[in-house]
Amino acid sequence: MSFKKFRRWMDEPGNSLVFTGSTMFVIVVSAGILVPLFYRFGPYDFVGEPLQSPSWAYLFGTDQLGRDIFSRTFHAVYRDMGVAFLGVSIPFITGTLIGIILGISKSKKTTSLIGSVIDGINAFPLLILAVASIAFLGPGLSSVIIILSLVNWARYAKIARTKAVVVSKANYIEAAYTLGYPKRRIFRKHIGPNVSSETIAYALSDFIIVILLVAGLSFLGLAATPPAAEWGAMISEGRPYLISSPWVSTFPGIALCWSAISLSLVVDGLNRREGKV
Amino acid sequence: MAQAAGATGKTEQKVVDNRKVFAFEIGFRLIRAMAVSFWVTVIAFLMMRIAPGDPARAALGLEATEEEVAILRKQLGLDRPLYEQFINFFTGVLRGDFGISLSFNREVSDIIFTALPTSLWLVLLTFIMGWSIVIPLALFVATSKSVIVAYLFRSTTAISIALPNFFIALILILLIGHPLFGYTPEFPENLGYLWLPAFVMVSSGGIAIMTRILASSISDTLKEEYVETGVFRGISRFRFLFYYLLKPSLAPTVALAAFGLGTAIGTTAIIESIFSIPGVGTELLAAVNGRDYPTVQALTFIFGVMVVFISFIGDLLAYWLDRRVKL
Repeated sequence: MSFKKFRRWMDEPGNSLVFTGSTMFVIVVSAGILVPLFYRFGPYDFVGEPLQSPSWAYLFGTDQLGRDIFSRTFHAVYRDMGVAFLGVSIPFITGTLIGIILGISKSKKTTSLIGSVIDGINAFPLLILAVASIAFLGPGLSSVIIILSLVNWARYAKIARTKAVVVSKANYIEAAYTLGYPKRRIFRKHIGPNVSSETIAYALSDFIIVILLVAGLSFLGLAATPPAAEWGAMISEGRPYLISSPWVSTFPGIALCWSAISLSLVVDGLNRREGKV
Repeated sequence: MAQAAGATGKTEQKVVDNRKVFAFEIGFRLIRAMAVSFWVTVIAFLMMRIAPGDPARAALGLEATEEEVAILRKQLGLDRPLYEQFINFFTGVLRGDFGISLSFNREVSDIIFTALPTSLWLVLLTFIMGWSIVIPLALFVATSKSVIVAYLFRSTTAISIALPNFFIALILILLIGHPLFGYTPEFPENLGYLWLPAFVMVSSGGIAIMTRILASSISDTLKEEYVETGVFRGISRFRFLFYYLLKPSLAPTVALAAFGLGTAIGTTAIIESIFSIPGVGTELLAAVNGRDYPTVQALTFIFGVMVVFISFIGDLLAYWLDRRVKL
């Protein structure tokens, strides 16, 4: 793409937001790949005196045990992002599928029954259900993924069902049936993509919610637990030193905000391109 | 209503019809809320039963003997068939009896009744604070013609959605300073203390989306002809803002506010623990850490039912404000 074309693209509403957001996202992800590969300190190495302020030797300072915060902050990327990615993509797939099936199914009794189960699951705040289930599954990042897969699909199913009902009545679907296309083809090529465009839009904003959820649960000591390098856990570890050595909590906090804001900008830009509020 | 009834027969007929429709809509929403509450009960009940492993064993730890585990299983009713357990749980819920807490050896309903008011105060304060920020802000943004205001508003809301509330809470405690740590749990005397946690709950998430939706419905209302008529008639600014612009635009935001309030109730778990407020969120965390299953189950149920109740009220309000709102 030539520079002129790029300028013109950026002038369209929303695109500058998408560009800024995705650049921020790429920066944090590539730092999350490069720092673990090439940085001289590991996340669990005791590299020097505890609670040293940021300097050239230790870019983000050291924590209460003398570990390098720069290394730990970027080692956390794959953990936070990875868990959030799994915790979004699994419910996205199952929820969209269930929603489409409910939307095009003809049995009214089953659909309204499953529909009210979905409403029941959605009635719980996600955080409460996650906290409560950890009592039964035990703390850990894998528990968070399990809970999200068991619970979060209901939100996708609700969106997909509403959209699938609309799509399945559209003229082009009728046309496809009239042309005698096999059902599988109509499902895969027509209904699937049209419904999932809606759930993908939700998945992006769900990614923000889930990143914050994982960090929040770790902050409470329910997901990643110390000594794991994870933003929420690191913020929680730095809490006693918040006033004397604020860098211990602040740098992981900034990394968390940075990632969530980058995604939020992308979502906002995409909404703007489509003229949504 | 009384005035309309005293008028011609035609209007009278219309009023009765409206009432019937209104009653039907309320009844329909009530039945739906009850169906959802039923599933909320089922989910809260099943959580403990479908988890891998034996909850009684997990609660007591590995050192407990088989007899102790068997006694606890009997106390929790886990030795009976599933449907019987459910009937017991369900009738217990209806009577307000949630069994006995494992770690404090007192009635779970007792824990709930001492902790719930505190959380409700916090949620109420969040609600009031939220609306008193959302309405003026949305009116300002929607009526302002400046591009900079629109741009600033858009970017601030996009950022504020993404801010982790627990981190913001820590920063605010740091900025506002030490005296806040001198909080004593005697709640009613310290109502003033709740403004900071309420502010954190307001600032992260809900409020940004609410203001955006309200601002956009106000700018839609601005395009209506009666608004222009109002301007020509020279009505006062106050009347213009609140009666001509705000009232017709509120319905979508009210429905959303109910949803936002549900999310806010969820975040009490984190916020209460940071500010050490003795509410249901703190109790839930304590119960989770202490593997106190009956309490976890009951509190999860309470959270779910609160959200169902609030969205029911929100639905009704939205319908009352704008009869065109459909489910």
